[in-house]
Amino acid sequence: MSMGLELVSNLLEVFTAEDPMPFDHPEGDPWADFREIMRIEWKMEFSYRHVLGKYSKFFIELANKRFLATECKNCGKVWAIPRPLCADCLSITRWKELPGTGVLESFSVSYFVPAFMKVETPYVLAMVRLDGADTLFTHQLRNFGESTDSIRVGMPVKVAYATEPVSHPMLLMWFEPA
Amino acid sequence: MEILEKKRRVFVLGGGISKFAAERADGNMRDWINEAVLEALDDAGVRIEDIEHSTTSYFSDHFDKQLKAGAIFHDNIGMCPKPNVRVEGGGATGGLAIRNAYAYIMSGLCDSMIVFGAENMGRQVPSDVAQQFIALASDTDWEVQVAGFYIAYYAMMMVAHMEKYGTKEEQFAMVSVKNHRNAMYNPKAHYPMDITVEDVMNSRMITYPYKLLDNCLLSDGAACLIFATEEWARKHSTNWERKPTIEMTGTGCGTDFMRMADRPFPYPGITHFRGKRVAAQQAYRMAGVKNPLEDFDCFEVHDAYSGVELVSYEDLGFCKEGESGKLMEKGVFDLGGELPTNTSGGLIGFGHPVGATGIAQGVEVLRQLRGEAHPKRQVELNAKRGGMDSHGGTGTFCVVNIFERRD
Repeated sequence: MSMGLELVSNLLEVFTAEDPMPFDHPEGDPWADFREIMRIEWKMEFSYRHVLGKYSKFFIELANKRFLATECKNCGKVWAIPRPLCADCLSITRWKELPGTGVLESFSVSYFVPAFMKVETPYVLAMVRLDGADTLFTHQLRNFGESTDSIRVGMPVKVAYATEPVSHPMLLMWFEPA
Repeated sequence: MEILEKKRRVFVLGGGISKFAAERADGNMRDWINEAVLEALDDAGVRIEDIEHSTTSYFSDHFDKQLKAGAIFHDNIGMCPKPNVRVEGGGATGGLAIRNAYAYIMSGLCDSMIVFGAENMGRQVPSDVAQQFIALASDTDWEVQVAGFYIAYYAMMMVAHMEKYGTKEEQFAMVSVKNHRNAMYNPKAHYPMDITVEDVMNSRMITYPYKLLDNCLLSDGAACLIFATEEWARKHSTNWERKPTIEMTGTGCGTDFMRMADRPFPYPGITHFRGKRVAAQQAYRMAGVKNPLEDFDCFEVHDAYSGVELVSYEDLGFCKEGESGKLMEKGVFDLGGELPTNTSGGLIGFGHPVGATGIAQGVEVLRQLRGEAHPKRQVELNAKRGGMDSHGGTGTFCVVNIFERRD
């Protein structure tokens, strides 16, 4: 390595790259003068003061073990994932409590998860048709027993609520077999 | 709303692709764009100074940590002070960029457009951080926080499809086999491989029902296409008379709710791509396509996950809902079949540098229609028409574009 590069605190490596398409260049590498490559470390850290918008009440009421959806005041459609404006008729909705019971519409079993998501694998992501709602709701299915083999499309499930501290308000709930 | 009475016509003059690979550490996005652009200019027989406008295609601002990267690509290839615009629609970004070229030229805003796209997906961050960046393209308040990420979303779709139609894991494993195999005849491909259905079935389970080999990989790479009117091409392209004439004859775009949970039942429910059906219907009507299986010689189909390709066949109208698995078994979509799909290798075999992917599909269709593809992957030209299906989110954005050869 060239003298002087030790002055660069975030230097990772200097290397000579190969032509990725040598057979395309029978007359020689057109980029031959540009094969010396440097790699550095670049770290960025941010923290946001994130606003959960007009659906914040959903999360507030989860802490009270209540599951709120929104109902359109005009067409009556109940959006399980709440939205302040009905996307079907553009009328303003109102909060409506649901019993938190429903059936499993589909699921997946993951043996891999991006590390920032603090879940143990395997974990089950589920789409649930909640009683009283016209759309589905997506969350994890937990407490399904010894094996994921017992999980079936159409099985009854219910909302369960956290009693331990959580890292995000959405994690105040999950689904489990009813 | 489609343009059915065409006052102007848009032609595809040339294309270029940089090598797709897991990591192109021999350069960065700017360098790959340069490679693809040089190849496209040469292929089109045009000079950059004559091209009037550019469109930039990349998806993520996280991967390359460079906002407004389009300005850099545009100035790197000497396009300043001419106009540039960026389009973005997740995995459909490249398809949108092609559609954008069509719209700008059709409207008369310009007579020529260079479209370039790239994505730095590779190994600058660990794979699980890359999955986090991609997960940010789903709803970050409602889906990501419950450990939602793309493989898991698509897995839920496929479980529902299997439940509804009896689709088998082996049937979508065949998609992976086909696409890895087709990539063997594409020297620019990231992941060429001769494998069997058993290999796919026995590969590591990532998210049931998707195994490692059912998924496309994260690729580095770039692609470029050049479009123009005939009048412009006659004046500025030295290859206009030398190479077969390829016209863009159809484009369609459709969308769906960001979250699958909000989509209406029974169609699309969580089994189908409603936006893709809308996009295909628009594009087919413009191009006069009645029976896609007969009216296309090749089709690049979005296959980020093997099952997505099967479902796409249904929404692109290649077959009825639930029948794609059986057609796959019959070899309809293999090279030599009725409608060869992903002759390039698709996202699974060729690679998926997101902003480049949809444009690379267009380059493949261009090569096929000119009869320039590798002899082992060249399709027979009957209808002289090829299609491409560019797709983002869980079918949140869908674009279908059509090229035709004019002899």
